[in-house]
Amino acid sequence: MKRGLRLLAALGGWVLDRCHEVGGMTLLCAYVGWSLLRGRLDGRELVRNLYKMGVVSVPIVALTALFTGGIMVIQSGIFVRRFQAYGLLGWGSGFAVFREVGPILIGLMFSGRVGANNAAELGTMVVTEQVDGLRALAIDPIPFLIVPRVLAMMLAMFCLLVLGDVIAIGGGMVFGRALLGVEFASFFASFADNVKLWDLMVGLIKGVFFGFAIAVTSCHFGLSVRGGAVGVGRAVNDAVVAAALTIMISDDILTLVLR
Amino acid sequence: MTEPAPTPSALAAALRLGRQGAAQLLNLGLLTARGALRTRRPPGELWRQLFEVGNRSLLFVMVTLGFIGMVLVFQTCLQINRVTGDLSQVGAEFVKILVHEFGPTLTALMLATRVGAGIAAEVGSMVVTEQVDALRMCGVEPVEYLLVPRFLATLLMTTVLSIFGITAALLLGALTAYQTFHVSFGVFLDFSKLHAGDILTFAVKCLAYGAATPIVSGFCGFRTHGGSEGVGWATTSAVVSSSFVVIVLDFLISALALLTWQAGG
Repeated sequence: MKRGLRLLAALGGWVLDRCHEVGGMTLLCAYVGWSLLRGRLDGRELVRNLYKMGVVSVPIVALTALFTGGIMVIQSGIFVRRFQAYGLLGWGSGFAVFREVGPILIGLMFSGRVGANNAAELGTMVVTEQVDGLRALAIDPIPFLIVPRVLAMMLAMFCLLVLGDVIAIGGGMVFGRALLGVEFASFFASFADNVKLWDLMVGLIKGVFFGFAIAVTSCHFGLSVRGGAVGVGRAVNDAVVAAALTIMISDDILTLVLR
Repeated sequence: MTEPAPTPSALAAALRLGRQGAAQLLNLGLLTARGALRTRRPPGELWRQLFEVGNRSLLFVMVTLGFIGMVLVFQTCLQINRVTGDLSQVGAEFVKILVHEFGPTLTALMLATRVGAGIAAEVGSMVVTEQVDALRMCGVEPVEYLLVPRFLATLLMTTVLSIFGITAALLLGALTAYQTFHVSFGVFLDFSKLHAGDILTFAVKCLAYGAATPIVSGFCGFRTHGGSEGVGWATTSAVVSSSFVVIVLDFLISALALLTWQAGG
């Protein structure tokens, strides 16, 4: 009896914690939307964040995309070789990279690189009372700190995904020739004939949404840090886990909506 | 805001730093492997870490992999409907690719964010609060005390969680195929195309990811310096490096498998 009650209490506590987090993120979204509607946004902070989140992430995204293209060629290659359908390689890997694997893998890398970094930065600002300092100077932290980050992450994710798609297809061509002996021209023809513009658009819409999700989760966990260095580490950990979950679940919903 | 252009001396310094880092990483890996072979370690610590890595990540891994399974089946069926309309082979191929590619890799990516970040955050905060130095003062090797139990737990639990994740992805994938495209469970859950080669790739990938994630994140954690900002940096770099290592290992092992034991399909 007592054991059962304790179990129930633990379950209830867990559910309440999750509700607390989801509610906090929803409120944050509302604040960000309201600030944007009133046009309150720090332009210089936006440019600084775009550089810090977009430009600096280019190498890791480019490398990830290159290997993603290679992996997709290898995986399609197993089928292609069995059915001797070398003409389908460009279609298979292009479609997979544009629609699913590209946005998800680049989104996860972006969450690790930028989202975690952002949570750590905001968390450190909270722990060292810089956010309270801003409030004391009558600067609202939402338009000054959060809105530029959300916009910067969405924009950066869009640009990085365009770059990543191009590199992944290029990598796919190179690895397809090296590992399976498919000529560049036949790969490209199969790719260009079968992959539609809409496939690219679906991936880009997903990417922008993932950027938004990463921004909201990382800002929420960064701003709710408690207790020194240990708290910052835990907040970063929670932020990347929440971002990964949100990416996977929203990917499902977006796939169903954008056929 | 603008970075200075890399001069030759800056490049040389970066190279030297990279070489030093590689040497330290190798050293850490060897220390961990040596510690893992010894039987003497703090009692109960391994069980605690197995719980921490395994049970605590189970729900996360099953939810994410389940959703991925739904998406992949949906996209594949949609494409095949557009081309041939014969959905009878989707299940068999899905089982195959899930076992040798998506199952272990996505589980490992999820564990890199969940467990890798956790290791770096814990070890990093112990470094900045000088608990690691205290361990060393007491004559305890910190790598052996802190990292080896986490290494063993992750090594084992990557395989276990992959199996759970694959199960979740298969079940939800089969449900999607049944609900949306009317493929019956019997046709979808077809294991006839799963060969020994796929199982071998699965095992090699799980072991490689499970060994790489804790070592890379532990390396980032032990390198932490300077307060809460340092811990944040360590955690970030642990997530990025271990995810990247997983992707590179996936590419290398898949290429090796394609050229050798999976050459026949």
